Amino acid sequence: MKTQIKPAAVGALGIAGALLLWQYLATGPMNGSALPAPGHAIAELAALLATGTFWADLADTILIALGGLAISAVAGIAAGLLIGSFAPVRYATMAVLEFLKPIPPIVVLPLVVLVLGPTAQMSWVLVVIGCALPIVMQTVAGVHDTDPVARDTARSYGMGHAEILLRVTLPGAMPFIGTAMRVAAPAALVVAVVAGLLGGGPGLGQSIYQAQAAGDFPVLYALVLVLGLLGLVFQGATRLAERRLLHWHESYREVVL
Amino acid sequence: MKRKALNWSLGVATPVLLVAAWWAASANSMNTFFPPLSAIMVRFRELWLFDHFGSDILLSLRNLLLGYAVATVAGVVIGFVTALVPVARWALDPVIHFLRGIPPVALVPIFISLIGFGIEMRVASIALAALFPTLIATVDGIRSVDTTLKDVSSVYRLSRGEKLAQVYLPAAGPQIASGMQVSLQVAFIVMIASEMLGSSEGIGAMTLLAQQSFMIPDMWAGILLLGVIGFGANLVFELLKNRILAWHAGSRRLANS
Repeated sequence: MKTQIKPAAVGALGIAGALLLWQYLATGPMNGSALPAPGHAIAELAALLATGTFWADLADTILIALGGLAISAVAGIAAGLLIGSFAPVRYATMAVLEFLKPIPPIVVLPLVVLVLGPTAQMSWVLVVIGCALPIVMQTVAGVHDTDPVARDTARSYGMGHAEILLRVTLPGAMPFIGTAMRVAAPAALVVAVVAGLLGGGPGLGQSIYQAQAAGDFPVLYALVLVLGLLGLVFQGATRLAERRLLHWHESYREVVL
Repeated sequence: MKRKALNWSLGVATPVLLVAAWWAASANSMNTFFPPLSAIMVRFRELWLFDHFGSDILLSLRNLLLGYAVATVAGVVIGFVTALVPVARWALDPVIHFLRGIPPVALVPIFISLIGFGIEMRVASIALAALFPTLIATVDGIRSVDTTLKDVSSVYRLSRGEKLAQVYLPAAGPQIASGMQVSLQVAFIVMIASEMLGSSEGIGAMTLLAQQSFMIPDMWAGILLLGVIGFGANLVFELLKNRILAWHAGSRRLANS
C-alpha cells in the first residue's frame, strides 16, 4: 500500500511544482508578456464553464470527433475486410494506401475547406480522412493474422464465405482493429480541433483561434487546459473500452497460472 | 508463380491507372475546384522548381529538421532520466501525460502569443509537440527491458555509462525508433499548422494563401508537394531505421525460425 501512496504523493508534488514554475515565470521573468498567471487562467476556466457557448463548442468538438470516428470505423473495417480477404484487391490497393498513409489530413485541409467551406461537414470529412486509412490498414493486417487452422476448420464445418468472414475472420482481426481504434480516437480529437483552428469549423478549435486573434490570452490558456483534459479522457476511455470489449480474445485474457 | 507476377503487376498498375484516370477525367475540367492535372503540374514546376525552392521549401524543411532534432534528443534524454530515476518518474509522469493530451497543433497559438510569428515560434512549436511521442516511447522501452539483462549487467559490474549505452539503449532501441517515427509525423503536421496560422512564408502558408486568393492550381501544387514530403520523410526514416536496427530484425528472425 505504501508503495502506491508514495508515487501518487510525488506526482502531486510534480503537478504543484509545474504550477509553481508557471506562476514564477508569469509573475517574474515573463511578467507583462502574453503568459497569464495560472490562477488567472484557472479563474477564466471557471468563468468559461458557466457559459453556454463553451459547452456548445465542447459538444461540437466531441460530436465531430466521435461521429467521424464512428464513420471511419464502419467504413474502414468493411473496406479492410474486403481488401484483406481477396489477394488481388490487396495487391491492387496496397501501394496506393502505403503512399497515402504517412500523409496527414492537414495536407488536404485547404482543399476540403475550399469545397465545403468552414462548416461542420468540413470537420467531419477531415476526421474521416484522418482516421479511416489507419483503420483500413490495421484491419487488413488483422485479417492476414487470422489463425488459418480456425478458418479451415470453419470451412470443413461447412460454413459459407460470409459466415466465415463474420464469425472467424472478423473476431480474429479484432485485436488489430482495437489497436487501430485506440490510436484513432485521440487522433480524431486532434483533427476535430485542427479543423476548427485552421479551417474555421465549429468547436473548441475555433474558440482557440478567436481567443488568440483577440489577444485574450487567459481564455486561450484555459481552452488549452480543457483540451489537455479532454485528450486524457479520450485516451483513458478508449483504453477502457478496448479492454472491456475485447476481454474474450486470447491476447487480452488474464493469465491464470 | 504466374499468380505472383499478376499480383505484382496489379500493384504497379493501379497507381499508374489512378493517375492516368485523374489526368483524363480532369483534362477539360471547367470545375474551379478541380482544375486539369496538367495545369496543376505546370504550376507545380513553376512554383517549386526552383522559384520558391530556397525561400520556402528549404525554409520549411529546415524548421522541420531543427525542431525534430531538438525534440528527439530531448525526448531520449528526458526519457532516460524519467525511466531510471524513480522520483523523477513519479514527479513527471502526471505532467507529461497531461501535456501529451493537448492536441499538438493547439500549442501553436500559445507560442504565437509568447514569441510572435517568427521562425523561433515555428521551431519551438514543432520541438515541443514532437517531444512527447519519443519521450513516452523511451520511458516505456527502458522500463520493459528484460530484468535478466539488467541483472547480468549488474553481475558483470558494468559501469553506469556502459549500462546506458550498451544495454539500455539497444534494448529499448526498437521502441524508441517507433516513438521517433510518430514524432516525425507530429513534427510534419505542426510544421504545416505553424505556417498556416501565422506566417506568409513556407509551403503551408503558400498553400493556404493560394486557397484564400482562389489560385486553385497553386493550392493543388502545394498539396501535392506536401504529400510528397510527408511520404518521403517517412520513407527516409524507414530506410534509416531498417539499417540501424538491422540487428534487431535479424535476431527476431532467428528467434522465430
